[in-house]
Amino acid sequence: MGADIVTVSTDTEFVHLAWRKSEKELQSVRYLMGADPTGNLARAFGVYDEDTGLALRGTFIISPEGTVLNSEVNFYNLGRNVDELMRKFKANIYMARKTGEVCPSKWKDEGDKTLSPSARMVGKVHEALQG
Amino acid sequence: MNEPHAGLKLGQKAPDFEINAYDPVADDFRKVSLKAQTDAKRWTILFFYPADFTFV
Repeated sequence: MGADIVTVSTDTEFVHLAWRKSEKELQSVRYLMGADPTGNLARAFGVYDEDTGLALRGTFIISPEGTVLNSEVNFYNLGRNVDELMRKFKANIYMARKTGEVCPSKWKDEGDKTLSPSARMVGKVHEALQG
Repeated sequence: MNEPHAGLKLGQKAPDFEINAYDPVADDFRKVSLKAQTDAKRWTILFFYPADFTFV
């Protein structure tokens, strides 16, 4: 299933181009760099900082149906963990296919233990995770 | 005032958007919108950050 990463800041697309081309760390970047100079998109997702005119470090996973399934927001001084983002992303794709299953906190990738919630599992999550 | 997640509810439809973007693969500008993403049945990860030319 296809996915697109769109990075968004309040810079314009022209600044994105200039940054991508001047910063060697970004040479391998292939994702779309979205421009939100009005801050309206950041505002719509609740990550616009009115005091600075900048967007906080917010990450949102949106399904092919347009549903927001995850949100994570960090303040300026904490970077995001890409492994955790990919874990959440893979889990969402997996659960979209296997709608009866849920991915526990230790789930990392396809083949790892999932749970299928039912009345029989109530109070028995420990046993279900072992099984 | 900052109100993270104001008006945003998980499990509900994302706010509609259409913004300009720089596409490094095509080395060109184009629009990206929620409608185009859902029409193409593609997942979207929106990754906000404070500013270009800083230390992400």
